[in-house]
This record gives sequence, structure tokens and C-alpha cells, in this order.
Amino acid sequence: MDLKSVRNKVLRIAPEVTVEEYRGCVRLTGELDSWDKIYRCGVAAVTKGSLGVLNDIRLKGFSEKVKTPSLADDALEGARPDVLVVGGGITGCAIARELSRLDISVLLVDKANDVGTGASCRNDGCIHPGIDLHKGQAKLHYVLRGNELYPEMCRELGCDFERWTQMFMFSTWWERFIIAPLMILKGRLLGIPKVDFVSRRKIKQIEQTPPSWFKGAVRMGSAGVVSPYKVTIALADNAVMNGARISLNTVVTGMEVRDGKVVSVSTNRGKVYPALVVNAAGAFSDIIADMAGDRTFTIHPRKGTDLILDKKKAFYALSSFARSYFAPLPKEQREQGHEAVGHTKGGGVMRTVDGNILVGPDAHEQPYREDNSTDLDSVNAIIRKQKNVAEQLSAGDVITYFAGVRAATYEEDFVVRKGIFTENVIEAAGIQSPGITAAPAIAKDVAGWAKEMLGAKEKAHFDPVRPHTPRLAGLSAEKRADYIAANPDYGEIVCRCEEVSKGEIIDALESPLKVCTVDGVKRRVRPGMGRCQGGFCSPLVVKIIAEHEGIAPEEVLKGDEGSRILFGDTKHAEVEQ
Amino acid sequence: MKKYGVIVIGGGPAGLAAAESAKKAGAEVVVIEREARLGGILKQCVHDGFGLIRFGEKLAGPEYAERYIDEVKALGIECRTLTFVTGIEKTQGGFVVHCVSRDGVVSFEGDSIVLATGCRERTAKQVLIQGTRPAGVFTAGTAQNFVNLMGKLPAKKCVILGSGDIGLIMARRLTLEGAEVEGVYEVKPEPSGLTRNIHQCLYDFDIPLHLSHTVTRVFGTDRLEAVEVAAVDGGMRPIKGTERIVECDALILSVGLIPENELAESLGVKINPFTKGPDCDQSYATSVDGIYSAGNALNVFDLVDYVSECAASAGANAARGDKDGKCVTLSRGAGLLSYVPHRICLDKPHDKVVVFFRSAKDMDRATLRITVDGREVFKKKFAFLRPPEMQRLEVDFSAFGLGADSELGISLEEN
Repeated sequence: MDLKSVRNKVLRIAPEVTVEEYRGCVRLTGELDSWDKIYRCGVAAVTKGSLGVLNDIRLKGFSEKVKTPSLADDALEGARPDVLVVGGGITGCAIARELSRLDISVLLVDKANDVGTGASCRNDGCIHPGIDLHKGQAKLHYVLRGNELYPEMCRELGCDFERWTQMFMFSTWWERFIIAPLMILKGRLLGIPKVDFVSRRKIKQIEQTPPSWFKGAVRMGSAGVVSPYKVTIALADNAVMNGARISLNTVVTGMEVRDGKVVSVSTNRGKVYPALVVNAAGAFSDIIADMAGDRTFTIHPRKGTDLILDKKKAFYALSSFARSYFAPLPKEQREQGHEAVGHTKGGGVMRTVDGNILVGPDAHEQPYREDNSTDLDSVNAIIRKQKNVAEQLSAGDVITYFAGVRAATYEEDFVVRKGIFTENVIEAAGIQSPGITAAPAIAKDVAGWAKEMLGAKEKAHFDPVRPHTPRLAGLSAEKRADYIAANPDYGEIVCRCEEVSKGEIIDALESPLKVCTVDGVKRRVRPGMGRCQGGFCSPLVVKIIAEHEGIAPEEVLKGDEGSRILFGDTKHAEVEQ
Repeated sequence: MKKYGVIVIGGGPAGLAAAESAKKAGAEVVVIEREARLGGILKQCVHDGFGLIRFGEKLAGPEYAERYIDEVKALGIECRTLTFVTGIEKTQGGFVVHCVSRDGVVSFEGDSIVLATGCRERTAKQVLIQGTRPAGVFTAGTAQNFVNLMGKLPAKKCVILGSGDIGLIMARRLTLEGAEVEGVYEVKPEPSGLTRNIHQCLYDFDIPLHLSHTVTRVFGTDRLEAVEVAAVDGGMRPIKGTERIVECDALILSVGLIPENELAESLGVKINPFTKGPDCDQSYATSVDGIYSAGNALNVFDLVDYVSECAASAGANAARGDKDGKCVTLSRGAGLLSYVPHRICLDKPHDKVVVFFRSAKDMDRATLRITVDGREVFKKKFAFLRPPEMQRLEVDFSAFGLGADSELGISLEEN
């Protein structure tokens, strides 16, 4: 590795930073007062021949209050799982499911009160074709394989999957004649199936309201959409069905590493002695890798915001599309130094598997790993920018918006490998976009390595199929009537906007991975996801959860501990009692 | 399949009044209500003040509803509760309304439909509040449901955004139930609710009202911990430097109501951009023959008495089922926020047309004018007009000599 040139590049940004080689990595230390500088130093430290960047430059005065469960018990004390998976995002849950095919004991821990509460529930659910990736990237390998695995996996798990195409649209003739053929060629070289050109005539058969500037598009027929949190939950459910144990509200606080081996893992619920540790900790994966003595990378959190539109506006996009960024936008539409250009495809407009239009995302570097808050500038900028693509878009179409944090590494690639410095650890780290697409393929590799490392065998009775109730509103009248005849709760509609019945909510409460929160129910069967955002149904959902669980309504949580919705009886209720 | 003369969708105050009058006009009627009980939002409006116009006395919401429920029952009108409309199909001779209920998938066939589907509340995100997504952000109606129907307190110390009537009522209610209301913030320079509510719900309880202020951000990851409030400029944009953090555990929003017209839209009913409800004539017929609209689905009212009046008329007209005929559009002139009806059908009685309107801004003295081909045919003076307070008047349109190509206009001038 050429440390000298790296040092020169970094020192040009911040002369006070120390640049050194550490165990094959480039390590940066020091203290700066600007996150932007720290980020740029990290980017400058990427170099061939290095294992990765360890950016340990501190941001002056910065600290993040990271959420940790207050729960402290010994539920896991002394547990000796064959594999401990740290992190219950889509990567961790997909790994747990793959591991549950094996004749071994699997424990997955997540610090939240549900799986899939981080980036896995804060993205657009796009199954990417991989056209923006490059040969040699781990990302490309996993995206191509993951994309192929999705249809069958979703069939088994009972999750919706649609092969809705993705289009990269051109606003100028030169892009149409130069970029388009190059992209199609690149698609062929990377082995991406079904990449073709869409002319101005053909677009009318594909989209109802294509942009007025449309000069042509490259279409990726292998793109698709899923509900990312539903897939995560379904993977977890299926893992649990097959014997994996999932411990929620469980945070890893430390590891004991001796002679290049993780001996024990401390949690708030007791000390665990796993034979193998899988790091799928998302935005915290560098911290977990560090605990395991195997860190070769650094996470720099990158926030993205997406807007969700009313289903009435579903005609804006029948597939998903974005405007090519090669030609600059007209001057009056340009954003002023707002975006971290280059690490998002610029966002776009897409139809989710549930029929909403999703607009975004953008990309902003930030020091916070858990700050999922939204801000007005981002929301307004996304509306302004995507108005170029969905030209009828207006702020009034937006029913809600959310932000998520991408677990990006400075190499902008996934870290999926066996431990380098610690022998009984596997990294599935730095998984950001397109991590939803990649997860099933990452899980196959990780489980394969685990199998070989543990000398494990396939289980005789693995059941890949997760029984589930179909979304009743989508059924024919006859089929729906059959369900209601069997269980009248299926005929009682609780959420009017999304047409969700009481029966479906109770089914969600009885899932293999039991999560009895309002958000948990919402992510599983959608009450509160419509245009009234739970205004009408949230009291009913609270009541159903309370009755089903035999608890008082004030004990029902929205999400994690501390998220109580109600504070007990009113004064007058007390008088009446 | 049994055929009904009128199918009423919604069993709230509008639906009940429409059903009653349709039945009295001789139609076979069915009311379809998605909730377990009739009465709509009135069930949770335990405060009084309902019925002054309709019954000449002050009733609580549930009492007001009860009078209609009793009448509907006495008339033997079929009411299907816990029945949810999944779609409406137009047929040769009328409509088939498809529903689900605990009994299965059920359908009702009818000649006309009254859509009395009410309205929904605007949410925090729809007024662009930013920040985290903690528990403790409620619309006023949701908070009212928790307090009045479940007897549970959703706040210990709260901030209320919006001075709409439900927000004001909830400020008083929460105070009485043991919570602290830090203040009510209103983005506009004047209150949005009825004057009587400002006095009875805020001033009588020493709750401060901050005009030209809004909530810009919420804090807290699990439960709400604080909100950021800021003063706004003339364009209702937050002014930098005026931000203030208010510690509280709940944010309650009363930031507007939106007529629920998803069913109407699915039938191709034309929606009025100002009321956000269907365009209608003086009989409350929408742009689709046989579909009538009533109550807050048509136009958000501030008094239930007017909801009942308009719905009773819609119900009787639906029972009669007059076809649409020659119409004259009532064009919107200056000074008006919204009004109904939007057109006058010359083939239907138009001698006693009830016009509801709201002024676009506060006006101490104003004149409402109706013109035909630019000529003034009607004028009426009003005092103390405020946008939150809907006005009602009766107009004899038959006296104006209207023809199919007349240009009919309505306007409000301050003087």
C-alpha cells in the first residue's frame, strides 16, 4: 500500500491528522471540529492494498446518546449457542434463517423491541439490478445473486414480490445516444439480464405520465420491489419456526477475545459463550467488529429521506424511474450544495409493493448512527428535485416521510468475510444500499462458511414455508367470504385506509416472533399506514393489543420500551370506578 | 337481492339525518356504518353546545346523536353496523354497494346513494412537522377518543397545535382530566375555532393562545420529550431565531379536516377544490346521477345542526331521485373561502335554496351579492364574518329568471 500518497492526500485536508498503517489498514487519528473534514479524510484514505480505513478521528465535542435497553436480567446467562448473530436487520435475519437449515443452535440478538427497526425498515424496498455497480465489488456479487434468489424466497415466506422494472431516463439526446448504449453494454458485461432501451413511443405503454422531457430510457427488467420490513420479519419468523432463538431488547456490551478467538459476549441479559459470532450490526457493525478484534473498516453514517405519497397518486409511477444525472439540471432547478453527490443514484420515483408512490431518497453524511430524524430542507429539496421526474408531484400528495441511516464504509463496499484477526467471527458488515437485494445471497455465503467452520450438517426437517394469511382486501369476494366464515374477525375492518381487519391484526400478534407493539403490528399488516396515519385506528389497535395480551391499554407500547401511548386513567374514569 | 331506494353510507349525524328524511319521503333505506355503534364522531364529543339551532337546546354530542338514533330506530330503518364498504359498482338501474362484515361479504342494491362519510384530520407530517417519530403525537380527534371513549390519558403535559374547534375542546378536556396544556399555537394570525370556544376552552382556564406561531419539530425517540415552536412570518414560514424548545410529553394537532371522499372519487364524482368535497347542486346531488353527498364529506361544517339540515335535504332528494337536468354554475367571486351549492339545477325546485358559505377573511361588515349576467339580483349584509364561522342563508333562485346559459355569480365584498 502506498501510505505516503495517502498521507499526502489526507494532510491536505487536515494537517493535524495522524496517518499510519495498522494491521494492514490505514488508520487515522486526531481530533477535528468538522464532520465534513473527517469524512473527507476517510475517503482520501482509501487505497489499494489496504484492508480498509480505520477512521478514528474524533469530532470535537461530539457524543451520541445511543439507545440501549434498560432491561437487565440473566435470560441468556451461560447460553452456548453454536452461532450468535448480532443484529436483527434484514442481513441478520436472513443469516439466522439460513443457519436454521443447519443442525446447530442459533441465537440472534437485537437491541430494539422488534427486528428490522433500523435501515431495514427505512428504505424503499427496491430489488436492484446492479447496473450502477462495478466488477470486483462484493456488492455486485451479492446483488446479482440476491436478485435471483428473491422470487422463490418471497414465495416461501409469503411476502409480496413484484418484478416492476426500473428505468433510467434521459432528458437530452446526447445521453440517449451515448450513455444509453454504454449502459446497455455495461449491463451485458456485468451479466445483468434484461437491460434494454425504451423509446419515446414505447414509454407510453409503460408509464401513464412520463416526464415531458423524456428522450428515452434504459430499462432494467430484473429490478423488483418488496416490502423490506415485511421480508425482514418473515425471515425472522421462519428462522424462529425452524428453531432459531431471537432475543430482542438485547444489546451486546462487550466481548472477551483470547488467543484470536471470541470466548464470550456480554449482553444486558447475561454472558453468552458462542462458538461463532456473526456481525450483522448495521450502523454499529464497526463497533462490534472492534469488540471482536477484527475491525478493518469504519462506518460513516449516511442519512437518506424518503417521502410516501397517497395511493391516489399511484398513477405517477407504474414502475420505478429516475432522471439520468449525466446531463445537468436546468439552472433554476439545481440544488445549492445540498447533496453528497455520487453515493446515491440520485433517488427517484417508485411504486412500492403496497401501491404507494415513494419519492427519494437523498444522501447526507452525519456523525450520528441513530439519528433518523427528518428535516424540512431535505423534504423540500426532495419535492423540488423529484418534481422534475414526477411532474405533477406536490407537497399535498405526501402522507408521511421517514429517514434512515446507511451503514456505509469508506470503501463503499460490503464487508462480507470470515474473520481476519479473530478466527470465530464472520463479518456481514457495512451493508447499505443495495443491502435489501443482497441479503439472501450474503446469508447463503455466511451460512456456508459457518457450516464448514462448525462442521455442521443440514437439518432433516427444515421448513422453508412460513404460513401466513394473505392480505384479505386483495382477495376475491368468494375467498374473502371463506376466510370470514372461518373467523368473523376477518370481516371486522379496523384500519379504513388500508382495509385491515381485526383478524389480520390478531394474526400478526400471534406470529412466531411475537411482537405486540403498535408499530410491530403496523409493519406486519399495515394498520395506520394509510392517509389518516392511524388517526382513526390507533385507539382500536391499542385496544386489540391490550385485550389480546391481557394487559391494560396504558401498557401497550408504540415501539421500544418507554414508548407508552397512554398514561393511565383520566380523573373522571377514576371517579367512575 | 333486496333493492333499496336509498343506501346511506355512514351512520354519523349526516347519515342518520339523511336516512330519517329519506325514509319519511317514502324510500326503503339502509344505513351502512363501519363502526360498532351509530353516531359517528359525536360519540366522543361529550361537551355540550350541540343542537341549539336544530332542537333549541344545548345537548352533548352523544345526546344529539341519540335523538336521531331513536328516530331512525322508531322508523324501522335497517342499520348495518361493523359493515365496511369495499367498493361501489354502477349498474344499469342503480348501484351495488359491496361490503364486508362479520357475517361475510355482503352487497346492497339501491337506486341512490347518500355519501355521508365524514372527514378525517390532517396529520403532523401533512403540516410538515419534522424530527423523530415518538409516541405522543396525536390528532385531537384521536386524543379525544382515548380520553372520552377509553377513559385514558394520552398526555401529562402537552402542546396543542392549531386552534380548530376540536383542539380547543381538547385543551379544556385535558385540563379537566388532569393534564397540563402548556399552550395552544396557531400558525394564522387569527384563531381557527369558534369564538365561543376560544373563551370557554382557553381563556376560562388560563391557557395561553400563541397566534402566528407553529410547531416545527418534535424530539424524543420513544416518547415525545419536547417540541420546537417558532413564530411565523406573513407567509406562515417559521422565522429563524424565534425558535423555542418546549418540554412536553404530547403534541396534539388540530390542523384541519379533510372530507373523506375516496368512495366518491372511485365513482368519478367531481371534487370541488375549495370545499374538497363533491361539487353539488341545491339538492346535494353530485356530478354523478344518483350519488348525493351530505355533511362533512360534502363540506366541513362547524355546527352539527347544519350537518343535519343539509343531510336531511340530501336524504329526501335522494329518495325522490330526480335526474340531473339543466344546470347553471354558481361561479365563485371575490371574498369567499367556500360555499355550497356549486350549481343550481333549473329542473329541480330552486325557490328555497339554502346557501352555506365562509368568508375568505375576517370582515366586520360585508355584503353578499348574487349576480346574473353581471346584474345584481340579490344582496344581503352581514356583520362580523370570520372564516371559521359558516354562514347560512336562504335564496329564492327562481325569482332571478335563470336560463341554461345565464352567468350566475356569488361574491362577498367588505364594506
